[in-house]
Amino acid sequence: MPNDSLPMPVETLHSLSVRSDTAEIRISVSEATSVRDALDLTELRVRAACGGLGSCGACLIKVLAGEFNPATLAERQKLLPGDLASGLRLACQLKARGSGALYLERPAPASQWKSFQQMPRPRPVVEIAANLQYPYGLAVDLGTTHIRLSLWHRQTGRHIGSRIGINPQVAFGADVLTRLDANRLSVQDRQRLCRTARLAVIDGVRDILSRDLGEITPILAEIGQVRVVGNSVMLALICGGDGNALYELENWRQKLVFQPDDPSAWRREWRMPHADIGIEQPLAGFVGSDLLADLLITGMTAQAEPCLLADLGTNTEIAVWDGQSVWVSSVPGGPAFEGVGMRNGLAAEAGAIYKVGKARQHWQLETISNSPVRGFCASGFIDAIALLLREKHLKPSGRFAEPRPENGFCFVSNCVHSAIFASDIDIFQRAKAATAAAMAQLLTMAGLSVADLQTLWICGSLGQHLDLDHAMGVGLLPEMAVDRIKRFSHASLAGCQELLLNPDAMAQFDQIRRLATVINLGGISEYEVLFIENLRLQPLAMRATS
Amino acid sequence: MTLTNYIQAYNEAVFETDKPAALAVVNQALRDGLSPEDVVFKLVIPAVESMMERIEKDQDSNLAQHFMTAQIAADVTEKMLEKFSSPPEIIGKVVIGAASGDLHSLGKRIVSGCLKSLMVKVIDLGINVGAEQFVEAAVANDAQVIAISAMMVHTATGENGSIKVRALLKQRGLEDRIKLAVGGAPYRFDPALFRKVGADAWAPDGVTAAKVIVRLINEAKT
Repeated sequence: MPNDSLPMPVETLHSLSVRSDTAEIRISVSEATSVRDALDLTELRVRAACGGLGSCGACLIKVLAGEFNPATLAERQKLLPGDLASGLRLACQLKARGSGALYLERPAPASQWKSFQQMPRPRPVVEIAANLQYPYGLAVDLGTTHIRLSLWHRQTGRHIGSRIGINPQVAFGADVLTRLDANRLSVQDRQRLCRTARLAVIDGVRDILSRDLGEITPILAEIGQVRVVGNSVMLALICGGDGNALYELENWRQKLVFQPDDPSAWRREWRMPHADIGIEQPLAGFVGSDLLADLLITGMTAQAEPCLLADLGTNTEIAVWDGQSVWVSSVPGGPAFEGVGMRNGLAAEAGAIYKVGKARQHWQLETISNSPVRGFCASGFIDAIALLLREKHLKPSGRFAEPRPENGFCFVSNCVHSAIFASDIDIFQRAKAATAAAMAQLLTMAGLSVADLQTLWICGSLGQHLDLDHAMGVGLLPEMAVDRIKRFSHASLAGCQELLLNPDAMAQFDQIRRLATVINLGGISEYEVLFIENLRLQPLAMRATS
Repeated sequence: MTLTNYIQAYNEAVFETDKPAALAVVNQALRDGLSPEDVVFKLVIPAVESMMERIEKDQDSNLAQHFMTAQIAADVTEKMLEKFSSPPEIIGKVVIGAASGDLHSLGKRIVSGCLKSLMVKVIDLGINVGAEQFVEAAVANDAQVIAISAMMVHTATGENGSIKVRALLKQRGLEDRIKLAVGGAPYRFDPALFRKVGADAWAPDGVTAAKVIVRLINEAKT
């Protein structure tokens, strides 16, 4: 069972400073990772067109200082001896042996897509039958704020590439309800909204193919299957549906079906003439197939003891397994969990503060890529709130102890991007209260307490850098031993991949569907009371004070 | 402890969203001989009114404070009402609900909580309430105000929402007897929207909505 929390083999990491004419970042790389692969996780990517074989010669980078591996055969074939002598290398062949400095004269054009590290996929018990006519397959996790996709050779199980990018539908509304509202404006808007998501998918696939394989059109023609998971609203919108069904209360707990409005038009637009496009149907009105994919990949419903799973994101989904039934619901986690809506909110991108500490009276901030501070992503924001509470700058009510400084509370003096405002804390309180109350309510309905839980799964990108003690301190997560908490950043995509690659997965998927009890928290008065109780910045309240 | 001390301690607890502390003040006051009527009329109602003032002026007031003001007030009032020596005088009645197609229930919860503590009888019709249902309930209960919460633009401006309630009130000659109040996110973005949907008044948040509704009750009664 994949799990980000499993202890990783100890690797020596080297620090590299990489600059272009417009940016400078710092990355940590292991000796086994190429500079190109490490930079692919950042916004400063090298040009690439061969998948890292060293055959295209596009990923030129100059070594300014430091110790690296000797030039490879591919580099000696592609680069002149004089170039090599002057420090020019191919980033896909370059591996650090110590700290160093690099200069990237011609970075890849700016792109919204980034690679991300995925857990190695365990070999399935049953392999896909050989001789598939169109062997490539695409898995897509359509999130409210992010789209994740991965391309595979289904026959060999070879992973071609994975990408994460912003769902461009964000421009139509940050959360699902606003976007659904936008979807009702006009037929033209609706068409624009669904086309926007479809074009984003093919854009991401092209990014994978152009950089990781070096050819596009012939491979698109060999994609035989596309699997899409997502929350109900995103599935409705990409299918061109009007989403009206999602407004009907009676559909909240009903099975809904969303299918491409015109599959052949999708295939034409995607240049994938042979693709069988499978939209994995949501469980109910506001519980999507992304949660089912989480449950599939974590194997939660096969556990002998109770477990809880929280997929923290713009649309947060919660599941509680009691051994017989899996109780599921979704709540508006709100864009706060993905860095949207806060004054200085960012997704996990270069310059985002992802960790905050305090030592010897000084705030210590860590930013992604070690870039200059540009704002907070959710994990950094939660750290900041927990520490502001501990230091008594902030009160459990969510108000600052002292009157609000006009420029907010700055963690770095004179750095406006390091400021947190009262309104940001209010937004976070709502998101965490909705999530905490949902956990408490579902546990209560399942007849369980936090002490009964064998495992708490945290799915979604937020979990990756989340400080568990801080998350428990502010009441986002229930208080429990940290060794019972497991993180899985890209769980929905990993589940979707199983559907693509493992012939047994669909039967398990359907079994999980049958085990599910969907709860509409909107109609439960106790949930409202728990929401109010959990607005305070304090450990998670399982019941109302009386 | 004097009454002033109780008021101060209770107000502070409500402001800090500290429900256990607020309940502790109430329990101490009861133990010290305050009557349930005194707790409601001298402690809870002035505290709600004071929070209305503070929230209206304070840009930093947050949702937790709005909810806790209402929740604590409603909880304490409910408990005290059971102990009243005679039923209190109700100042008016309001029919409240989320507009047709709108599933958001929390906003109106703040309004209802404050109203209950202000001795307004609240008839809560829930979520996704049709225009006819609002008017029928208001007539049946002899309510002075219909209060409609709408958190999305299309439910605020929808044909089966406030616009239709206004049309029905007009058609049935009820406009003098029943006033219409609205609230919710779309009204904050367009402060003139309440007029476009035919409402008599709106409020930017749940706590001040209670204040606005009490004013409308008094208008309808005169």
